[in-house]
Amino acid sequence: MLKATNLHKSFGKLEVLKGIDLEVQPSEVVVLVGVSGSGKSTLLRCFNFLERINQGSIEIDGQVIDAKKQKLSQVRAEVGMVFQHFNLFPHKTVLENVIEAPIVVKKENKETAIAKGKALLEKVGLADKADVYPSKLSGGQKQRVAIARALAMEPKALLFDEPTSALDPELVGEVLAVMKQLAEEGMTMVVVTHEMKFAREVADRIIMLDEGVIIENTDPKTFFENPSNERTRQFISLVE
Amino acid sequence: MEFLQTMLEVIKRTAPGFLEATVLTLQVTAVALVLGTLLGLVFALMKISKSKILQTIANIYITIIRGTPLIVQIMFLYFGITAVIILDAFWAGAIALGIHNGAYIAEIFRGAIQSIDKGQREASMALGMTRGQSMKRIIFPQALKRSIPPLGNQFIITLKDSSLVYIISVSELFAVANRDAAQSYQPFETYLVVGLYYLVLVMIFTAILRWYEGRLNVDK
Ligand SMILES: Nc1ncnc2c1ncn2[C@@H]1O[C@H](COP(=O)(O)OP(=O)(O)OP(=O)(O)O)[C@@H](O)[C@H]1O
Ligand SMILES: [Mg+2]
Repeated sequence: MLKATNLHKSFGKLEVLKGIDLEVQPSEVVVLVGVSGSGKSTLLRCFNFLERINQGSIEIDGQVIDAKKQKLSQVRAEVGMVFQHFNLFPHKTVLENVIEAPIVVKKENKETAIAKGKALLEKVGLADKADVYPSKLSGGQKQRVAIARALAMEPKALLFDEPTSALDPELVGEVLAVMKQLAEEGMTMVVVTHEMKFAREVADRIIMLDEGVIIENTDPKTFFENPSNERTRQFISLVE
Repeated sequence: MEFLQTMLEVIKRTAPGFLEATVLTLQVTAVALVLGTLLGLVFALMKISKSKILQTIANIYITIIRGTPLIVQIMFLYFGITAVIILDAFWAGAIALGIHNGAYIAEIFRGAIQSIDKGQREASMALGMTRGQSMKRIIFPQALKRSIPPLGNQFIITLKDSSLVYIISVSELFAVANRDAAQSYQPFETYLVVGLYYLVLVMIFTAILRWYEGRLNVDK
């Protein structure tokens, strides 16, 4: 579904991604871990072209994306993203946040978008908050709205960049529960997270990034019990 | 007491002329504000655009306008434009004031747009919006709300600055007061009264603005 081949990305002189090869199968849940600065966010952002890659290629659904020839906005519409700081639109109500892109980007008619938007809010347990502004929500509620907003575009895959890192501990569970449900429904997901319990239970595969290269790429059981790399072992002892 | 008596007389005497001139002052100001806001929007977008040429044009405009006195701009435009096309003093003055304001309003809009968290642009782009859609639907509405207090301030400055078009003989409030002061031999009282006119106008304007800002906040 998503595929990076020999992906290189630099910011000025700093090379952040040094030749990443990664393929994510349809309905697969891949958890991406690594210490701060290892390039996790950058890799996610390359997958929906919020960053321009310097070398290598990215395929979405079997199609190589050429940033020069294709309209990137159309490509981005197919891969959803959930951010650490939610980035809800503060001037729009919860429902308006959810229906905005379907109406503006997909030109859906308003009634259809509203019906689908309400169903999505129902799904993330926020049907009663449709007409409220984001400033009135808790962090966990905001993130669930952000997930509903991404889902409204019916993306082929969803990228999560530390979706629970900005939340109070007691609010983490409600967001992870929604993500787990999506995984069970067959959504293709790449998740950057420090929630090792989630990684263990939900991930099909865990990938460890270290200084811009993949040093571990394996199933959760092997990752935690028998990692191949010394750095992975150190990382696990740190987070667990 | 005698002074108050005189003042009341001056207020009464000048009222018909001053009130009529007030209308003209408000008209000059309104035209200048509409033009200034449109220009401000265009030049703000040019300044934050990716095109170096557009950025440079915007920078030149803003530097020239901010670096020269308004009164010089009014004279320059009046004699410049009227040499090419027939334009009466009212329109020349209002347009000069509008162009002048455009530079300041451009900076207000640019600052407000750039103050919006970049996560907003990223979130909208990640949903598939183009740069233009993101600006129109997500960034600008938030920036506009943030611009309202400084815009209000700029509008008040414009109202007062409109007095400078007296120099090209537009019969607005200050021009009429100026004439009256010379003819009546009561310059002190006359200027005091015209000052009061501006003060009242500004206070009304400020009150409207406060009310509007309050209403915007209630929405949230
Ligand atoms: N826009 C940018 N300009 C310059 N350097 C950047 C930019 N974005 C990221 N970097 C640098 O790239 C490196 C990798 O950053 P990235 O955000 O991908 O790391 P991360 O693994 O997500 O870390 P964290 O766990 O702290 O979120 C860091 O050294 C960071 O400073
Ligand atoms: Mg990160």
